[in-house]
Amino acid sequence: MDPVFIKLWQAIISGLSIGSIYALIAQGYYITFITTATLNFGQGEFLMIGALVGLTCYVSLGVPFPIALAIAVVVTGLMGIMLERVAIRPVIRHVLSYSWVLSTVAISIILKNLAVNLWGPEQMKFPSPFGDQVLKIGSAGIFPQELFIIVCAVGTVLLVQLFLRKSLLGKALMAVANNRNAAAVVGIDVKRMVMLAFMLSSALAGLGGILIAPVTFGWAYMGTVPGIKAFAAAIIGGLENPIGILIGGLMIGLMEQLFGVINSSLKEGVIFLFILIMLAFRPTGLMGRRAIDKV
Amino acid sequence: MRLPIFAATGPLGWLAVAMGAITIWALPLVLDDPFFILILQSLAYLYIAAIGLDILVGWTGQISLGHAGLYAVGAYTSALLATKAGFPFWISAPLGVAASGLTGVALALPSLRTKGVYLAMVTLAFGFMAEVTANRWSFTGGPMGIMAIPGPTLPSGAEMNATQYFWLIGGTALMVQMLATNLYRSRVGRILFALQGSEAAAETLGINVYVWKVVAFVLSSVCAGLGGVFFAHQNGFINSETFVFGLSVQMLASVLMGGTGTLLGPLVGSVMLNLLPTLFAHLHEYHLYIYGGIILATIVFLPKGIVGSLQLLLSARHLSSPKQIVPDMSVLRDLGHDTGMTLSARGLCKEFGGVHALSDIDIDITPGTVHGLIGPNGSGKSTFVNVLTGIYRPSAGTVEVAGHRVTGMNPHKMARLGVTRTFQSIRLFGELTVLDNVMVGFHLAFRRGFFAHLLQTQSAVEEEAAFRAKAQALLAFVGIANRANDLAQNLSYGQQRLLEIARALAVRPKLLLLDEPAAGINPTELHHLAEIIGQIKAAGVTQVVIEHHMELIMGISDTISVFDFGQKIAEGNAVKVQADPKVIEAYLGTPAELAHA
Repeated sequence: MDPVFIKLWQAIISGLSIGSIYALIAQGYYITFITTATLNFGQGEFLMIGALVGLTCYVSLGVPFPIALAIAVVVTGLMGIMLERVAIRPVIRHVLSYSWVLSTVAISIILKNLAVNLWGPEQMKFPSPFGDQVLKIGSAGIFPQELFIIVCAVGTVLLVQLFLRKSLLGKALMAVANNRNAAAVVGIDVKRMVMLAFMLSSALAGLGGILIAPVTFGWAYMGTVPGIKAFAAAIIGGLENPIGILIGGLMIGLMEQLFGVINSSLKEGVIFLFILIMLAFRPTGLMGRRAIDKV
Repeated sequence: MRLPIFAATGPLGWLAVAMGAITIWALPLVLDDPFFILILQSLAYLYIAAIGLDILVGWTGQISLGHAGLYAVGAYTSALLATKAGFPFWISAPLGVAASGLTGVALALPSLRTKGVYLAMVTLAFGFMAEVTANRWSFTGGPMGIMAIPGPTLPSGAEMNATQYFWLIGGTALMVQMLATNLYRSRVGRILFALQGSEAAAETLGINVYVWKVVAFVLSSVCAGLGGVFFAHQNGFINSETFVFGLSVQMLASVLMGGTGTLLGPLVGSVMLNLLPTLFAHLHEYHLYIYGGIILATIVFLPKGIVGSLQLLLSARHLSSPKQIVPDMSVLRDLGHDTGMTLSARGLCKEFGGVHALSDIDIDITPGTVHGLIGPNGSGKSTFVNVLTGIYRPSAGTVEVAGHRVTGMNPHKMARLGVTRTFQSIRLFGELTVLDNVMVGFHLAFRRGFFAHLLQTQSAVEEEAAFRAKAQALLAFVGIANRANDLAQNLSYGQQRLLEIARALAVRPKLLLLDEPAAGINPTELHHLAEIIGQIKAAGVTQVVIEHHMELIMGISDTISVFDFGQKIAEGNAVKVQADPKVIEAYLGTPAELAHA
């Protein structure tokens, strides 16, 4: 096969796998945004904590991978509840509509320091539970970890949607998203649902962390960039459109990997340039509802 | 919150400036230590950038998570011109500031229509692009950055020493603060605060929201550029590692800590955030805990920031203004027009995704009359007013005022023609005082522009005082003069509605649309409202009044149009409309339905 074609094919697979991580994290933005109109700007640091907790369990303590994964998800989920209590609930009634941006960033700064204290500033290798053996499809190779990421991340996104739309608890959460006061009137515990939203959101980031670590290394500063790119994915999709977010995530993953093939220094800048141009024309995202200012 | 209680004018203001100047002069002499002087320099240029950020965030109500990018543009432009083209500091620095200002214009474009988190994304994306470009582009030195950037020179040709450089930066900071104070006090500050309060309302007062947002972005970028330029020439070395997201966060945090929209907030916040980390520098391992903790604690416990909280404490005394002021009707003579304005709509339709909110409306409004619009909820009255005032563009049909075709014209252009309105869901500028709300209404009448108010020229100061007197008179006319210095958000519901009328009258309208002016007000106020509408009519202003309150509308209207299901079903004077079987049906149902019930 043509080497250019192989390169492209590999870029597509890597793009889809990294993109599905962005989509996974961005799904967390979606859940908290619809319930509270806020999101955790430190989502990337929750990803990092998920990865490092997973690394400690799986590598240092020798816990089997599925259990390490579960521990990472539970730990980050619990941290999400604390985040809501400390950085969201006290500031959400503030007149200033963006206090929460800085309060969540403040938490992320603290978490980074914590991670450096606990795990050190170095990059650590996280061996893939599926080994480093390259799967050959035709003459192109892919890592099984990448396939695992895609299946796991996209599967989780769909599961979360199923949960929100079909289960009673999920419907209660969607009711709060739709109309907080009406939900409270029919007896839904709004505070609980907001906590649940932040727990889910953070757990998704934690899951993203343990999935991505074998591809990127685990270290204290690994989360910031994926956190921001996932935010970009959510914005492209339109923050209130879960399918749009999934597509947005995959788009960003594909864009950065494909531009990486042409010129690696283009890779990062192009995404942000794209977002600027897109928002100039579509101020609520590609697939977002147009806001009508009712007067 | 625009409570300019720390913005002293006259001798007190100059005293503050003199004290600032003495402090700047004395600090490096007292703390004669290279390390401290370096910190003072950094504090001063970050403070300049913070003033600019507050104009964008605290005044205009926008958000920026990418201010480090604007700062970078100033720093790199000046550094490149100085090192590659050999320009002296005194030329490269203004060019760096200009480049930053131009970037602000470019950044304003995608920011105009985006709001909230989407706007956060725009600025964040810009910040990252700036960082990545600086890091990857060979022209900007890539990751290595730019070295051997010369410092500014003295007239003798020698390079400034650290103390002199601090005096330069500190002096500039003092000047920026003075100019910002002038703006804050003037119509410019009010306009930007009005954008924060309600863009829709600002438009109806003749403010071109896009233009003024660009102004806010440019002012903010110029300050960021100034900060960046001073940074670049401080150490003689820059690279992309400085211009990261963390720096944008630090700038935003210093503005929030000090208190947004408080004028002195940026100073207090910058001092806190730049000095505290230095105090804790020996706790190297924990300094991010402390830094993050300080930010979090301030936001949670001092939501209005340090200066904002102080202002609230002090304003309770400062703003006591309840003197009884006798209503002064001369303001209405000022309003007077020989004839009001005609308005006619032909075949007006408006669809929302297949729902016909308005179908084929023809209406003629006679000059100098009060024209009532009634109809059950959802009959299309509000949509009609929104189409008339240019907030919605009609799907079909035309609107003419005084012979001009105005279909789909922007509200701020309609205001220029003399058409303005009040809002059913009250749209006041909550962060401004009651008096300042009315002052914003004089936007189109102000003759002195941006620079006159920036420099507070004699004519600008006089103009301001003249309009202040008129605003006070308008408040007296609607009967809330005693609340002039309160924040608009603290008024009662009824008073807020009256304030909206006073603000609209400041536009000197020929045609005034009142959208449910009586909603939520008490019976006494209702009577008062009817009187006000009568007096406005006597002054020759044409009025269109939407109202559910039948007694009011029947009492004040010369003509009444009745809407139902987006159609005009009846029109005429009160007696005729009340007897119309179609109107009775619309409100009560058909005889058959009634019998069934």
